[in-house]
Amino acid sequence: MKQTTQTVFDFSGEIAVKVQSLNLHYNSFHALKDINCEMRRNAITALIGPSGCGKSTLLKTLNRMNDLVEGCKIEGTVCVGGVNIYDKRTDVSLLRKNMGMVFQRPNPFPMSIYDNIAYGPRTFGVRKKSDLGEIVENSLKAANLWDELKDQLHKSALALSGGQQQRLCIARALAIKPEILLMDEPTSALDPISTGKIEELCEKLKEELTVVIVTHNMQQAARISDDTAFFLLGELIEFGNTEKIFASPEKEQTLNYISGRFG
Amino acid sequence: MGSNSTKRRGDVAAKVVFAASAAFSVFAVFAIVFYIIYESIPALSEIGVFNFIFGTVWAPTKEFLAIPDRFGVLPMIVGTICVSLGAVLIGGTMGVFSAICLKAFCPKKLKGPLVAVINFLAGIPSIVYGFFGLVVIVPALMEIFSVASGKGVLASSIILGMMILPTVTSMTKDALDAVPSSYYEGALALGATPQQATFKVTVPAAKSGIITGVVLGMGRAVGETMAVMVVAGNVAAFPTGLFSNIRTLTINMVIEMNYATGLHRQALIATGSVLLVIVLALNLGIGIARRPKKYREKKRAAKLVAEPQPSAPPAFVKSGRGCTVLKYLSIVCVALVALALLTLVIFILVKGLPHIDLQFLFGESGNEGMTLRPAFVTTGLLILIALAIALPIGICAAIYLAEYSKRNSRMVRVIRLFTETLSGMPSIIFGFFGMLLFCEFMQMRTSILAGGITLSLMILPTVIRSTEESLLSVDNSLREASLALGAGKLRTTLRVVLPSALSGIITAIILSIGRIVGESAALIYTAGAVPYEPSGVMDAGSSFAVMMWLFASEGLYIDYAYATAAVLLIVVALINVAVWLVKHRLAVKAFGSSGKRAERKTAKIKEAK
Ligand SMILES: Nc1ncnc2c1ncn2[C@@H]1O[C@H](COP(=O)(O)OP(=O)(O)O)[C@@H](O)[C@H]1O
Ligand SMILES: [Mg+2]
Repeated sequence: MKQTTQTVFDFSGEIAVKVQSLNLHYNSFHALKDINCEMRRNAITALIGPSGCGKSTLLKTLNRMNDLVEGCKIEGTVCVGGVNIYDKRTDVSLLRKNMGMVFQRPNPFPMSIYDNIAYGPRTFGVRKKSDLGEIVENSLKAANLWDELKDQLHKSALALSGGQQQRLCIARALAIKPEILLMDEPTSALDPISTGKIEELCEKLKEELTVVIVTHNMQQAARISDDTAFFLLGELIEFGNTEKIFASPEKEQTLNYISGRFG
Repeated sequence: MGSNSTKRRGDVAAKVVFAASAAFSVFAVFAIVFYIIYESIPALSEIGVFNFIFGTVWAPTKEFLAIPDRFGVLPMIVGTICVSLGAVLIGGTMGVFSAICLKAFCPKKLKGPLVAVINFLAGIPSIVYGFFGLVVIVPALMEIFSVASGKGVLASSIILGMMILPTVTSMTKDALDAVPSSYYEGALALGATPQQATFKVTVPAAKSGIITGVVLGMGRAVGETMAVMVVAGNVAAFPTGLFSNIRTLTINMVIEMNYATGLHRQALIATGSVLLVIVLALNLGIGIARRPKKYREKKRAAKLVAEPQPSAPPAFVKSGRGCTVLKYLSIVCVALVALALLTLVIFILVKGLPHIDLQFLFGESGNEGMTLRPAFVTTGLLILIALAIALPIGICAAIYLAEYSKRNSRMVRVIRLFTETLSGMPSIIFGFFGMLLFCEFMQMRTSILAGGITLSLMILPTVIRSTEESLLSVDNSLREASLALGAGKLRTTLRVVLPSALSGIITAIILSIGRIVGESAALIYTAGAVPYEPSGVMDAGSSFAVMMWLFASEGLYIDYAYATAAVLLIVVALINVAVWLVKHRLAVKAFGSSGKRAERKTAKIKEAK
């Protein structure tokens, strides 16, 4: 049973993710309505909007985490690195290897710090101690954690503070060398100092990869993102350059939201 | 690159293994039922089903050949029903009231200890209950009622009542906990006192759960063997009074099996079929009664609270005194339960501890003195064999139920029903099944191996339930994190979810050990009942409980029986403590140790460099 075509992602283009006329239903509930947008390579795209408007849902369609949800129907196309990921032949595992994901609440595995980071590489067959050690070190460095944790790699990840746990989760996602990093309100459960560290980190990471971040926090979106997408009740109301959206939004709803009149 | 499709094939194969393990309970129940019934066919066709079930004379041995219908089990059926109803009357009522007290009227500080008492009662082996009945309850009844023999219906009912009480209490408590507290609060808001709210609103709303618990308890009473055998008197006749000596179906099976041959033996197996049918009918009754009613009752209770009549308060005021009486009754029940446990424990420890010494525990067992060493060896081997079989199957089944199937799909419900049925099967049925299938048909003879395999079937439901529960409690975000890292379902399950569910698996192991240490009826005809030390798994051997039965049934060794009972109680206590520790402490500790192991590993690597 040889597969004739094999999934080949190509991230050399200007656009990393392209969403076209995407509609998503949870059973009869229409959660995403005709979404069209593009995420530029080596840029940070922020998804904003009041809670329940479909930000997380969109994020999860990008790495097909919605496959797990019963009664979830998806129409339209999502292209990642030139590949239509909802094509039947797409290797979901390989897709996810290219799409790191960081969740709202830090969710380290109940293992040591080392094993948490080595989990992804081991999934893809890295076994050699020296290789793993290198990956762990690089990932922790990339997540600005190495100096804090290098002497306690074999401590339980659960013993870390919330902010450290979240950065560990970022390091864990980076360990499989993704091209795109998806972050779902990564700082909403953290204190301001940890939040600052993660924002700093995002700026650094975009040199290497593409970041899509969901955030509840308008200032955060304005501070760190290059592009912003504003959602309301499952619709993409406005999408474009962050500075422009915050300075002179085209739609009234956007203006209302960013000026804090609802949400 | 074929790695992708091989990975997928591995995933599929794993899923098949998990599904097959989950289906194993269904298979086991069918195998037991059909095999026992199949083996009963010769007797039933020779004697005639009607004659067998409604025959009133049981005279199975050769010297009664002249009697026409000498294989009738009706006295045993009546005896079984009699003591089971007695047990429900005593243990069921007290169990329900105890649960109500625990839920509504017990000071918070006492709740923990009282729940521990109930759990402890649940863990005490049948044979210890029987022995306690023999040395405490029977003489006490003789004293109180000044009768010549205290054995019979009443003594059996009391002992069985004690044994089913924990089941009834915990089921009732679950049912009461499931009633939305808004009902209770609503009633209070209408001016009801706490006891009125409890007895007029909460308890009626939990009715179906309570009935389920009582029926389940009744099922246990019907299937109980060793405990009643010691106090029933064992005469195969119809009961005529509280002190009539009677014989239950289970007793009939166990006491005559070791010398029965030919038709007699077949008739004993057919007795097993009758028992099986009664137990299955009770189980089926529970299955049917459970669902549709619940909804109706909830609605009614909601109505009680939501729509008071225009002349509302009287409904509560009128019944005020009755509810207060019920409240004190429930407190008395809990006190009695605690007192009963205390009596049992103190009596046995006082009589037993003085006879425990190193020689008795670990010394060579021989003519000059019997020891518990053979029981240690046998029980250890039984535990190893049973766990080696039940753990993999049970964990795989739990994985299937929790991770691979849709919640509450029909398939899951069927598997759950059969798992519960398996856990509700009487020990003696397992014993007969093991004897017929493993010892005889598979020619393992009476051996520890056959006993261990039989036990593995008995502990399987515990393993499945405990593991499944803890799998379901694993935070879903861990699964998501693993999948988002590109790991497949199988790797996610084995590497992330299962290790997080470790406490459930350890709990399952501990509970299984408790069950095995205390088991007797299932072992007498599979692993054997011999006092000497086995030299391998193909030898016969006695577990602790069987050894205690040997000691108790030979008048010479009554001190040994007390001592063994004391050992068993200590084991039960340790098991309860261990389960508690795992539940409350493990999460942190287990991780700490694996972390340390990893630390040592890297230390080594560093050295190597
Ligand atoms: N698994 C699901 N099943 C059904 N509905 C869902 C599910 N997940 C999310 N929804 C619904 O879809 C809408 C969008 O949810 P979500 O994407 O989580 O919003 P956001 O992240 O913007 O707060 C909400 O109304 C939510 O109730
Ligand atoms: Mg969200």
